[in-house]
This record gives sequence, structure tokens and C-alpha cells, in this order.
Amino acid sequence: MSFSKSDLADIKWSLGAFVLSLALGGSFIAYSESYLEKSQKDRQSAQQHLTDARAQLAVVELDRENMAAYALEYNALLAQKVIGDEQRLDWKEGLAKLSTQNRVLDFKYSIAPQQGYTPNPPLDAGNFQLNRSNMSLQFDLLHEGQMLDFFAAMLRQLKGWFILDDCTIERSDQAALKANCSGGWVTMKNRNAP
Amino acid sequence: MARTLLFLSADSFHACTWSGGTISAVNSFANDADGREGVAQFLEKNRHPAYLLIDVIEEDFRLETVPHLIGPSRKALLERKFEQFYRTTPFRQATLLHRQTDGRRDDEMLFSALTNPARISPWLDTLHAHRIPLIGIYSLPNISTPLLNGIASDHVLLLSWEKSAGLRQTYFNNKRLHFSRLIPINSDSSFSEAVATETPRTQQYLKSLSLPPPGEALDVYVICHADDKHALEARLESDSELHYTCLDIQDLGKRFKAKNSYPDSDATALFLHLLASKPPSSHYANSEHTHFYMLWQLRRMLFGLAAATMLSSLLWGAASIWQGNIYTAETQPLEKQTEQILQQTQQIQRSFANTSVPAADMKSAVLLARKLTRYSPPPEDILHNLTVVLDTFTQIKVNKLEWKVSPADAAPSAYPAQVILFDGELLEFGNDYRQALAYLDRFQQALVQQGYTVGAEKLPLDVSSKGSISGDAAQDESSPAQFSLKIIWRQKE
Repeated sequence: MSFSKSDLADIKWSLGAFVLSLALGGSFIAYSESYLEKSQKDRQSAQQHLTDARAQLAVVELDRENMAAYALEYNALLAQKVIGDEQRLDWKEGLAKLSTQNRVLDFKYSIAPQQGYTPNPPLDAGNFQLNRSNMSLQFDLLHEGQMLDFFAAMLRQLKGWFILDDCTIERSDQAALKANCSGGWVTMKNRNAP
Repeated sequence: MARTLLFLSADSFHACTWSGGTISAVNSFANDADGREGVAQFLEKNRHPAYLLIDVIEEDFRLETVPHLIGPSRKALLERKFEQFYRTTPFRQATLLHRQTDGRRDDEMLFSALTNPARISPWLDTLHAHRIPLIGIYSLPNISTPLLNGIASDHVLLLSWEKSAGLRQTYFNNKRLHFSRLIPINSDSSFSEAVATETPRTQQYLKSLSLPPPGEALDVYVICHADDKHALEARLESDSELHYTCLDIQDLGKRFKAKNSYPDSDATALFLHLLASKPPSSHYANSEHTHFYMLWQLRRMLFGLAAATMLSSLLWGAASIWQGNIYTAETQPLEKQTEQILQQTQQIQRSFANTSVPAADMKSAVLLARKLTRYSPPPEDILHNLTVVLDTFTQIKVNKLEWKVSPADAAPSAYPAQVILFDGELLEFGNDYRQALAYLDRFQQALVQQGYTVGAEKLPLDVSSKGSISGDAAQDESSPAQFSLKIIWRQKE
């Protein structure tokens, strides 16, 4: 079958109709597909928003539960100045006050510079950085009960958190007993805090 | 679907239209320039696809056995045969009758041609000039085969009368066309007379070709009107070699769903209807003749494609929009639900205390502090039970007490243990080491009962086989019975 230019006259309308149908049909499909795609995206977006909102609600509810469960203790830690920067002046004043209370015959202490602290065994500190300033103590005692009383008073009266690592009590010539103890002042610093 | 039917006989040209089994009034035209002008005017008004049926004497049939070939080889073979048999006419065709079942399994073919193209070409020129879509050029024997349906005979001579052409005799062997001849009927000769006269002649010709084989009869079927049937039966006598049967033209018309009735035995209208309703696949026209029909088909196909494209686009688009509407309808409840949850979240957040610390950090800090507290218990917790036991063992004097954190001794507790090194001495036992060791053992047992783990680092006297013992009988041996214990205190879970 061969075509000549004159044959185009016979098929021009049908060819035009076909081309027009392609154009119209293609346009309609393009429009409907874009509408479908937009609707689908909107639904996916709405679904995602709903999922996010549910997750946010769950977080907030968990926060509410956490706050109810931990706020008091957290505030106590804040009040005790365990959270935040260390307060050496408080320790100094507190220890000075203890010395005036004659709980032991005599005691001396020295506090080392602060350094990072990793408990052994390790603990998950979450968003907090643990720091520790080591302190060594030497006591002259009449009896071992004085030392226990001293540490109990320190816990009650001083702003801070002292962790006792070790102690040695032995008989002495000058006093009844002599004790050497070491430990550290521990602080927790929130990494997001300024 | 409407069709234009054209019929060319030796002397005239007829044209009519066909639609749904009904043939319109037939227009007859003379075989001259005026006739072609008349045809042109007719075709201007009826531009349907056209069938051209030809019933002329100048049609030749040749039976040939050719090798079974396919593709270009077959085409070349047929072209060679055409050039060999019918060089002078473009109106030629080859029909496969059947393939032999033995030997090389050659093809038995019927080659036929309209051998006088000058009779046809002027009419084709007219059709071509008016761009009429010509479907094909058919000869009357070509289209007769469907009339044999229901006839069991293997040797059939079909007789029909076309008023403007004459008496057509077509021989079929095993329902396959073998031979046909047209006998013009004079105006002074009747149809029945022509049948009675010409049939024996044709029989003689067939006999010369051994058709049918000796012993078999030739079945002659005559298409006729009921009015002519009696006259025919009166003149035709069957014998052992020739059996006559009349086929009622009205019955044939009904069988092929023709809606016209036939006033006489002229079978022209019947054959035209047969051509329009059951056109055979092969015909005499070549692609040049059917060029405008191809264009017509292309036009229809393009319109069809356009309609199909529009329809499928509409369906596709409608389905997409419908699905999109479903998505949109599903979106609104999700948005509403999201809004409600956000409001609920904000309500909870408003109820929070005014603090900048996230609750998760509060929890972390508190849990961390709780655990760390258990890493370093107060000295009272560690020493209390030891003090209680010491109160009951008055013959033990403490010389040195040392305790320290020991993560290595923690197990089975999760928190570090406290290891207490206890240096002491046993009082008032003199040289009675047996009692002293027993006393120390009871002391250890008492500590164990208080929850401590106790191990002796040093005893007043090493009585094990690995130890060495020394003594001086001249001296008083009541030296202090010193010992050292390692006591482990663990957190209770």
C-alpha cells in the first residue's frame, strides 16, 4: 500500500480526530493523574500528621507521667545543688560549720580539681554529664561513731552530694582513733544547659 | 453496514446498494461512455465501500499442482505462474484447493483470471476517478461455493441464470471450484430450454476430463423460481449419469437471510446478496484497485482509534478522579482526628509546671541519682551489723578497720560491693589456740549470718599443712593472737 500526498485529503479529518483525541485524552489523563497524585499525597500527609500528632501526644503523656513521678525528686536534686555547676563555696562553708559543731576531735580535708566521672560499673547518664571533685578527709576520733555521725551530718547539712569511696580507721597514739577517708563531690550537668 | 454492489456483465453494468440484507432498486447502465457517466452520478450519491461482481465469458480456470512453498518463495512461484498463464491481465488469482496427502504433499491450486481487462478497466477508471473504496473484484463462480452448503454430492454442476449475462454453469469437485462457463441466452430461447440443451454439452466436456469418474453421477442443481420449476422438470430427465435438482431461489434467499424476494429465476440479486453477506477472501483486485478501500479502512481505523482513545482516556481519567475523591474523603477525618489530638496535646502541655527541663531529663537525672546512691551506701549501712556482732564477741579487739568500694566483688549484686579489711586480735586466750581459733570461727559464722561474706586473710596460728609453726619452750608464748579478715558487704536487691 502506497500513499501519495493527495491521499491525505481522504484521511485528514480522521487523522485530525485521532490527534485531537490523543491531545484531549492525554490532557484529561494528565489532569486526573495529577488530581489523584495530589489527593494521595494529601492523604499520606494527613496520615503522617496524624501519626506525628499521636506520637507527640504519647510523648507529652509520658512527660506528664514522668513529671508526676520524678519532679519532686528532681527538684530535691536541684535544691541540693547536685544538678548544675558545683558550689565549692557551699561545701567550704558547710565543712567550716561542721567543724564548729565538735562532732569529731579534729578533721582536715582537701578538695581536688573537678574532672569527668564515669561510675564503675558504668551507668546510662542520659542527657547529663557527670563530674566529680575528689575530697580526702583525715579525722581524729574518740570512737568510730563520731565519724559516722560526721558523715550523717554532712549529708544533712551540706548542699551537695558526697560519695564516700573508702575509709581506714585505726588506733592512734594522739587520739583514740585516727581515720582517713576519700570520696568525691558529684554533680550532674545537663548537656543542653547553657 | 451499507455497501454498494456493482455487477458487470458482457453488455451492461448494474449498480445498487445493500444494507442489512436488503438490496435497493437496481440501476442499469449501458456499456458505453453515457453508461459510465450514469454510474459516476450514482456513485456520487452512494459512496459506500463497493463490491464489483463480474459475470463474463472471458474467465479462465487452470488447475495446477505446485510444490508446497511458503513466504517469498510461494509468492515468487505464483507470480511466475501468473506470468506464464495470464501475462496480459492484472485480474488474476490463485486459490488453494487442497494439499495432497501423499508424495511431496504438493498443493493443488486453481489459477483463474479475467482475460479481457479492456472490458473491466473503463469501469474501474470511473470508480477510481470518483475515489470509490472498492473492496474487491469477484467473479460469479468465485462466490458460488456457499450455495453448496447442505449438498452432499462430490460432483456438482451448479446452474444459474443471470438475465443480463446468460446461463452460468459451474462445476465443483468435492465442493471446490474446478471449472465454469457462461452461455449467453438468445432472446428467442427460454431458460429451461437453455438448461436442457447446454447441460449435456457440459457433461460431455467434463467426461472428457474424466469428471466425474466413471460410475459416478453428475448432480446438476438448477437455481430457479417456482414458476419455472415445472417447465424445467418437464424438460429435464434424470438418468444414471445425470441427476437434476431444482433449488428454489426464494428458499436460497431466505437461507442466506436476504430480505428481497425474487420475481423470476434471475439469480443476479441472489448472488449480489451472497457477495455482500459472505464475501470470499480472494478476489481479482490488486492493491492498486483497492487503494481507496484501504484509505477508507484507514480512515475508519483512525476514527475508531480516536473513539477508543477518548473512551479509554475518559475511563482512565474517571477512575483516577474517582480514586482521588476517595482519598480526599479519607483525608478529612484524618485531619479532624489530628486536630483533636493536637488540642489534647496542648491541653496537657498547658497543665505542665513552668519548667524548662524536659520530663525525660528529669527522669534521667532522678534514675541516675537513685542508682548512684546505691553505688556508695552510708557507712552505717556497711558497718552496722559488724558492730552488732562485735558487741557480742567481747574477746575481739579491733586494731584497724578499712573499707572501700569494690566493683570486682559486686556479683551477684548489680551494684559495687564494699570490701572491709578487719585487723584485730583475740584477747585472754593465752596459749590456748584451739579455743581462740574456735572463738574466731564463731565470730566469722556470726558475720556470715548477718549477710557478710567472710574470708580469713591471717589467723593467730596457721594450722594448715602448708603453714610452718615455731615455738620456744623457755619463753612465755602468750603473745597477742592477731588475725585479719576480709569481709564483703553487698547491696540487697
